[in-house]
Amino acid sequence: MASWPRNPRLIGTRIPRLDGMAKATGKAKYPSDILPAKMLFGAILASPHAHAKIQSIDVKAAESIPGVKAVYVQAKAGSTLRFQGDFIAAAAATSEELARDAVRAIKIEYEILPHVVTEEQAMAPGAPAIVRGGNVRPGRAVIRGIPDSKLAEIEKIVTALPRNQQETRRKQEVEKVFDELFARSDAVVEATYSVPVITHVCLEPHGLTARWDGPDKLTVWASTQAVQVVANELAGEFEIPSANVTVLTDYMGGGFGSKFGADVWGVVAARLARQANAPVRLFLDRSLEHLAAGNRPSATGKVKIGASKDGRVTGLLAETHGTGGTGGAGFPFPYVYDIPVSSRSHSDVFVNGGAQRAMRAPGHPQACAIMEAALDDLADKLGMDPLELRLKNLDPNDFHTPIYKGEIAMAAELIGWREKRKPRGMNGTGPIRHGMGMAMHQWGGGGTQDKKVSCTISPDGTVELKSATQDIGTGARTIMAIIAAEILGLKPTDIVSNIGNSTFPPGQPSGGSTTTPSMSPPTYDAATRARDALFKHLAKVLNVKPEQLSVKDGSVLVEGQASLFWKDACRKLGTASIAETGGFQEGLASVGVGDCQFAEVRVDTETGKVKLLKLVAIQDSGLILDKLTWESQVYGGVIGGINYGLFEERIMDPITGVMLNADMEQYRLAGAADIPEIIVRAYEPDEQKARGVIGVGEPPTISTAAAIGNAVANALGVRVPHWPMSPRNVLMALSAAKKEGRA
Amino acid sequence: MKAFEYSAPSTLEDALKLLSGPDAVALSGGTDLVNRMKDYVTSPARVVYLKDVKPLAGISGDARSGLTLGAGTRLSDIVASAAIRESYPALWQATAEVGSPQIRNMATLGGNLLQRPRCWYYRAGHGLLAMKDGKSLVREGDNRFHAIFMTEGNALFVAPSSLASALAALGSRVTIAGPQGERTILIEDLYQVPRSESDSELALRPGEIVTKVNLPAAAGKSASYEARHKEAQDWPIVLAAVNLTLNGETVSSARIYLAGVAPIPWKCTAAEKAIAGKQLTLQIADEVGEAATSGAAPLSMNAYKVPLVKTTVKRALLAAIGNRYWEA
Repeated sequence: MASWPRNPRLIGTRIPRLDGMAKATGKAKYPSDILPAKMLFGAILASPHAHAKIQSIDVKAAESIPGVKAVYVQAKAGSTLRFQGDFIAAAAATSEELARDAVRAIKIEYEILPHVVTEEQAMAPGAPAIVRGGNVRPGRAVIRGIPDSKLAEIEKIVTALPRNQQETRRKQEVEKVFDELFARSDAVVEATYSVPVITHVCLEPHGLTARWDGPDKLTVWASTQAVQVVANELAGEFEIPSANVTVLTDYMGGGFGSKFGADVWGVVAARLARQANAPVRLFLDRSLEHLAAGNRPSATGKVKIGASKDGRVTGLLAETHGTGGTGGAGFPFPYVYDIPVSSRSHSDVFVNGGAQRAMRAPGHPQACAIMEAALDDLADKLGMDPLELRLKNLDPNDFHTPIYKGEIAMAAELIGWREKRKPRGMNGTGPIRHGMGMAMHQWGGGGTQDKKVSCTISPDGTVELKSATQDIGTGARTIMAIIAAEILGLKPTDIVSNIGNSTFPPGQPSGGSTTTPSMSPPTYDAATRARDALFKHLAKVLNVKPEQLSVKDGSVLVEGQASLFWKDACRKLGTASIAETGGFQEGLASVGVGDCQFAEVRVDTETGKVKLLKLVAIQDSGLILDKLTWESQVYGGVIGGINYGLFEERIMDPITGVMLNADMEQYRLAGAADIPEIIVRAYEPDEQKARGVIGVGEPPTISTAAAIGNAVANALGVRVPHWPMSPRNVLMALSAAKKEGRA
Repeated sequence: MKAFEYSAPSTLEDALKLLSGPDAVALSGGTDLVNRMKDYVTSPARVVYLKDVKPLAGISGDARSGLTLGAGTRLSDIVASAAIRESYPALWQATAEVGSPQIRNMATLGGNLLQRPRCWYYRAGHGLLAMKDGKSLVREGDNRFHAIFMTEGNALFVAPSSLASALAALGSRVTIAGPQGERTILIEDLYQVPRSESDSELALRPGEIVTKVNLPAAAGKSASYEARHKEAQDWPIVLAAVNLTLNGETVSSARIYLAGVAPIPWKCTAAEKAIAGKQLTLQIADEVGEAATSGAAPLSMNAYKVPLVKTTVKRALLAAIGNRYWEA
């Protein structure tokens, strides 16, 4: 088993990212900045309708515009368009304006089909079915904790009935079990909570620039999280060897899970480039980013949860649904806690909207919001501190429980929970109320075992790492350099960290918080092998044994005494470089993290405005390689969570079927003035470090919105059941509570 | 956007001549027009850039006799003006809260007053009234940001300029130049309710532009208060602007205008009546805020704006006399 250095010089310190200056000054060229010679600009024609059939399509007028070099039609006459933004055609021209004129000149006759764009519409009786099998796909209840004998009894009753009555009866029988359970509970909460669909809003849009370097040789600059996936897709699409496709992503401006493939627009860019015999740049505009490039599904949970006086949850009955447009909308539930008896049934609801894509911790933010809101309301009903309630319901058999407890203690201390938090209804009677809330989450963050990194040491002393992974903003390039520098006794800036090229040794797609845990072991291995190969060569030259050699501060040491500067040592290689490839090493990476976040808010009951005062995020993720890039990940996750908690919402128009806020004006995102003090701390006692590396990209975004929602409920004494915590949702909840005499 | 003819005259005379052609529009900061052109909501044949017409920009006069603001004055210049900050706080506050620093550095007073509604149906190309198959898209669809007053008609968008309401509360006049010469009107008369899709919400005749805004001598105490979602760059959901004439501690009269609630800057007559002759206290401000909501007829999704009317009026009134209780 391999292990990380026990007393590292670099690992775990605060090291600025190698490309930070290039990014800050604009020197860094992102894929969408690359303009190869003779390049043409592409533009896309996408469906203006939520649901329509193409009757005819005529590109003659578009093709005849001077400067328009190619038009490619993806959807043919007879094709069905399933959402506003569904891809129809694209054109390439000598300017972006001409390309746009060209796609506007494409004449299409549509047969408009009935649409459903909201869950309400899709689930309404008599709604037009937009997918085969109906708009609502119900899943069977997942039941835990009901004794097998009881379940067998229920099945006996159910199977005696005609088939079409079975599901309803099964549901009734299960509910009976819960009715009994809740009747014995000291407190029961029944409520419905929901989070809306949001979109990724990557600052750099999706797309690529394609250049053919021969009839079967393709180079593309793609904004992607997976250079090799894009290369393989394009190779397959054009039936050329994948080795002939080079996908380059030196930098990229955000993906969050939505940029794993070539996508239809990527393939079409290459088709247009072939047709026009010139490189073609095709990136989405802002509106298409919202419409067609993925989203995080909504979630609604109708929840009934009970507890005994001592705060132990007795059971949870949940019906959930959500929409991922033309895709599914699943999420894990119950979430985090040890729930002794539970039944959860989930329905995917299909609407005429762009399909969901993975988005930073897929499913978890939705699960967390609903679970944590229900637990918080339960604590209020029991008259118990919600922090205590959470401690009482962690799974005693989970290895992570002691970690959670440590994190909760840290966070409570940092936000001043014991001193400042008051129960609901005790946060003032004036218009401005103060509130505090918390939430918890979990994530995997483990790596894969099949990735490779090469490490080359050249006679001039250059050290180059290569792998076909990419840096999506997490600091992958820097992390790899830190590891090699640590092992070779050099500075991170001495290492050339070459990634973002699909022709390099197999690298990890950047998703699921897997990049660092996947890439660290092979980097460690490659650097170690290269160092050992260098030692072997030097040992001969210096007439010592390789074991007598070590490296430190840019020098090679013999028996601990500085002997040669690094460059001089490398010069002794003569003309032959050292090139070693490293792979997975057991013991360097692990999986399974958790976190808690605490929020402090001020809510103006007269304007409905939620002002964040402070957010505390305590995160564990094993051994942290670079404290600085690690903290950036957590800050970024929290800021994403603030947007989810306060601002973001895709607004679909039920009448016209289009998205009403497909821009960055009515689709709200925090500006600098909306960001509160954020306190980020790593939970990393020695036993955490010993676990090895675990990814951190996703977990810190999960519980922010949930914690904010709970802080708002604490401030108001009234639950705002629907996110975002906008003035409208807050004022509507207050007005409903007033009408019902709750506030 | 569609190709267009472009010119950048340096005199008002030349500008007016160029604007008298069919389908000509004036361009100043471009923060609204350019976006509409990109989205094909507005596709002019000719764009006349006014930034080189130097007399259109700048602030002159003083608070004692009144200020003149050129239509080409940038919002950032209004925010930088000590005279406006001290003597016309209703205007200063409303301007300081527009958009972002980048937008305020580009956008002009005239452009702000003449920007087109932000109604998302209008911006999606459905027209000002957004009628489809005889039905109002706004009424039937998502109207969370739309009007709560005058909703018996079909013009359900809200007038987008918060500055217009602040200037109306301050009793400002605008000067308009056009082919028929110059005219000066009350700022509230710059806006009208369109009755049909061929009407405009702006009472400008073809070829006319706004050249300046006159603020009367500063009298009384003014303030504006806006309720919004974000701290950073956002639109007000509702804004109230007030200008109080005080007699000792008694409010002898008041001008109260709202933005974000009607297709025109909304004059709160009920609130103006309710405050007249009263001493402004927290209790009275609350009552006047309540009075301001009378006649509100919200649509299906925007009833939450009614309490915002009450709050913004109450807070603008109290801010005018230096009581910012919500910041305590």
